[in-house]
Amino acid sequence: MSSTKAPRKLDELLDSRLMSKLDAIDVVSRKIFSGKLQGERRSKRRGQSIEFADFRPYVHGDDLRFVDWNIYGRLDRLFLKMFLEEEDLSLIIALDTSASMRVGNPDAFEYSRKLAMALAYVGLVNQHRVSLVGFSGGRIERASNLRGRRKAAEVAHWLLDRAPEGGSAFEEAMRLVGTTRMGRGVMIALSDFLFPEGFEKGLSMVAGRGYDLFALQILAPQVVDPTREGGVAGDLLLVDSESAAEVEVTVTPELLRLYRERLDRLCGSLRHYCTRRDIVHMVVETSTPVETLMLEYLRKRGLLR
Amino acid sequence: MTTLAVAWITPIAGAILGASILAPLIALWFLKLRRKRRVISSTLLWTRSLADLRANAPFQRIRFNWLLLLQILAVLAIALALAQPEAEGMGSAGGRHVLLIDRSASMGATEATDEQGVAFDKPTTRLQLAKDAAKERLRALLGGGWFSLNASDVMVVAFGTRAEIRAPFTDSIATLEAAIDGIEPTDESTRIDEAIELARAFTSNLDRDDARGERADANIESEALPTIELYSDGRITDLAKLALRPGERLVYHRVGVTEHNAAVTAISAERPPDAPDRIQVFASLANASLSPRSVTLQLAVDGAVRAVTPEPIEIAAATELDGAFVPGRAQVTFRPIEQPSNAAIEIAIVEDDGLRADDSATAVVAPAKRLSVLYVGGEGFIVRTLLEGLPIERFNSMDTASFDTAVATNALGAFDVIVLDGVTPKALVPGRYLVFGAPPPVEGLSAFGIHESLYPRFVREEHPIFRAASLDELFIGKATAIQADKSFQVLMEGPQGPLIVARERAEMQLVYIAFDPLDSNWPFQRSFVNFVANAIDYLGHAGDALAMRGVLPGEAVSMRLPAGSQEIVVFAPNGTETKVQADLEGNISWGPARVAGLHRVEFLAPKATARETRLFAVNITDAAESRIAPLPELALGNAQVQGISVASTRRGALWPWVLVAGLLIILLEWWYYQRQVRV
Repeated sequence: MSSTKAPRKLDELLDSRLMSKLDAIDVVSRKIFSGKLQGERRSKRRGQSIEFADFRPYVHGDDLRFVDWNIYGRLDRLFLKMFLEEEDLSLIIALDTSASMRVGNPDAFEYSRKLAMALAYVGLVNQHRVSLVGFSGGRIERASNLRGRRKAAEVAHWLLDRAPEGGSAFEEAMRLVGTTRMGRGVMIALSDFLFPEGFEKGLSMVAGRGYDLFALQILAPQVVDPTREGGVAGDLLLVDSESAAEVEVTVTPELLRLYRERLDRLCGSLRHYCTRRDIVHMVVETSTPVETLMLEYLRKRGLLR
Repeated sequence: MTTLAVAWITPIAGAILGASILAPLIALWFLKLRRKRRVISSTLLWTRSLADLRANAPFQRIRFNWLLLLQILAVLAIALALAQPEAEGMGSAGGRHVLLIDRSASMGATEATDEQGVAFDKPTTRLQLAKDAAKERLRALLGGGWFSLNASDVMVVAFGTRAEIRAPFTDSIATLEAAIDGIEPTDESTRIDEAIELARAFTSNLDRDDARGERADANIESEALPTIELYSDGRITDLAKLALRPGERLVYHRVGVTEHNAAVTAISAERPPDAPDRIQVFASLANASLSPRSVTLQLAVDGAVRAVTPEPIEIAAATELDGAFVPGRAQVTFRPIEQPSNAAIEIAIVEDDGLRADDSATAVVAPAKRLSVLYVGGEGFIVRTLLEGLPIERFNSMDTASFDTAVATNALGAFDVIVLDGVTPKALVPGRYLVFGAPPPVEGLSAFGIHESLYPRFVREEHPIFRAASLDELFIGKATAIQADKSFQVLMEGPQGPLIVARERAEMQLVYIAFDPLDSNWPFQRSFVNFVANAIDYLGHAGDALAMRGVLPGEAVSMRLPAGSQEIVVFAPNGTETKVQADLEGNISWGPARVAGLHRVEFLAPKATARETRLFAVNITDAAESRIAPLPELALGNAQVQGISVASTRRGALWPWVLVAGLLIILLEWWYYQRQVRV
């Protein structure tokens, strides 16, 4: 199990130094979604922002406030100034809170919480609508439609209140997320994707519903390489953290080879599945600092800018 | 197909080791491993991998594991090696073993390959193969065993016609090997009864020593009976008479594979009556193989080749009729050769075959000599008439009174043979006598009455005087009842006593027919003519009788030399020389003759300046010895014994291979273990 100390307050989830660095970045969606509220994100729609977009002839009923009087003075015709509409973005962070995340050093769950906090913070400071969804045991818990920097504490409290337990029931959880109207937008799923029932059906519940989906596979170093410190060795009775199933093993090179083959096969099939459905897949080792991940890797992969 | 059986030298040691290690080993595998509990995110990626290399808690249901299998195999292999298996199938070591080594003529057959067809470095005789195999067996019994609790005692007996103990029961390998090495080949025929009796007698003697008179006979018999290990080709004439006792074990180590052999089974060299300066030679050939043979014969006189058959002589293949083996036969007659002096005639097959010893036969022919015969008779006319018709040099006759006078004046030295026909002279002087009817006045022979209506019950037909003289239809109306001492040989015996006896003492050769021919139907039979002619010839050449008759291998030789002869040496064809002593009358005895061929006796006669020589021939005429195909199994009187090829018994110990296999399994187990534990 994990030996990582669990954070208890916002500062432990997201320190102020990283917070200040995150102020400068934003979430990028590869798709342009129509928002519900005016936000800081440019919309396809013409709206009321200060950023000029185009002119069009005045028609009856148009708001006279947007008539360009300078042009009228020169051309004696009425033209209406059109501005880019700035809309908000829905950012949904789906956090796997099943017991399988409470493994490794650093702990996959704590890492996921910090990462979720950082992503949510980026969304909040950029006036996006941030929704947090925790799923485990086929149930979801959520904190929806949070906006603005001030909501960071609320996000932090929500995250700190979560504890990993039970199975994941990924398919059921994603079905609930997909049917819950939280607005289309960017969805970031943080999970180890080690589901006995497989990830395909769960992802398919959200992949075809207009989300710009990112699947971040959070794996502890001991999962990637069981021989690392804190990993497995010798004659063990391995207990599944979710199902409590037991497997007797004697760790041998042959067994490790088989394990790595299976892990590679699982990650490969997840990557392949995601690529075919325009989902960004990324394996994240919990040994990678959240700061590095946020400021470098996720920017390179186009989630942040 | 030869079956490979395995003998265990120390089976108990192997069993103890196997039982003492195997059971705890398997019990250890019932212990289960107390595994460290470790919670992981998901067992999805892990497969059950039970390599319980250590155990520290009781108990579990035993599960298959390659290490367990390898460990069991390794323990079994080491236990088997400790039991010291040997590929031979001749029983376990320990106890008493009698190695009977056949040294008869057929064991002189030359083998080029073993039963598997593997060629030897050089052609080897069967006897040598048998000796090598016996020494291998010795080492297995006495020298090869670690941890052996069973001490073996081994006795070595060599046998042909007669058996000889080469080494009594001992556990000294050096003594036994020296005894085996010292066994020389012979050309004798094969009789096993004496060898078996020797072995049994020796065992019984040991038992009496050990028993202290307390054990019951039955116990002695069952515990002490030795394992008899016979090294032979199985051609043993008296095998059917041999019966194994209860508990007695016979192991037959079969030697040899060759079966092709032709032999000269008989030779006859005679001077025709009408041409005494010539020698007529007859030979009889036999083929013991199942395919026909063609051979070339050569005739040598005193070592010089005088004739060779112009065309190869075809000998038919041997056949088996109703289980009886009938060799193919051929008869050869050579043209008479001029040879007035005495000669050693040798007939030899030129072509090589399996057994060389029977490819030649020798006969010694006396110098051309015609006999002088004196007839002393009464009223009988049959014998006299018959003698007058024989081709003899001089024939005289006289009555009893004249004979007694001649005896008194010692005037009978000119006659080779004296025939007494129904007369009883007062005394006889040294000489050669053929006596009919009335008993002669000689020491050791006495008459005590008359027997009537007799027929012969036993006739020594192999004696030269019965050549071509069948007495099957002889009926004797009246005969003298006689009693003869041991100096007489009974040649024909009736229901109530001897009818024809012969005496061959040096000073007097005598054949006595204890009835008047006219009191029987003999004169009306052709055998009578042949008998009288044979008897005159036999007595007339009495000094040469041995040379003419020949000797069989294994027989003892008796010969009369001039009284007072000294420095007598017998030279055998194999180069051995034996000094013998003559008695006062010049008689010598030597033997038994071990090898076939021309033997030479040299002696220094009284008042002679140069050494004189006499020859006699020893010939293999035993058809059983010429049949050299080894018997696959022995048919004893009460059992069948399957033969084991010496080629298979010489494969040696198996345990080193088993031990190597065990060590290899341990290495494999170690490698597998290391592969399992290395992370």
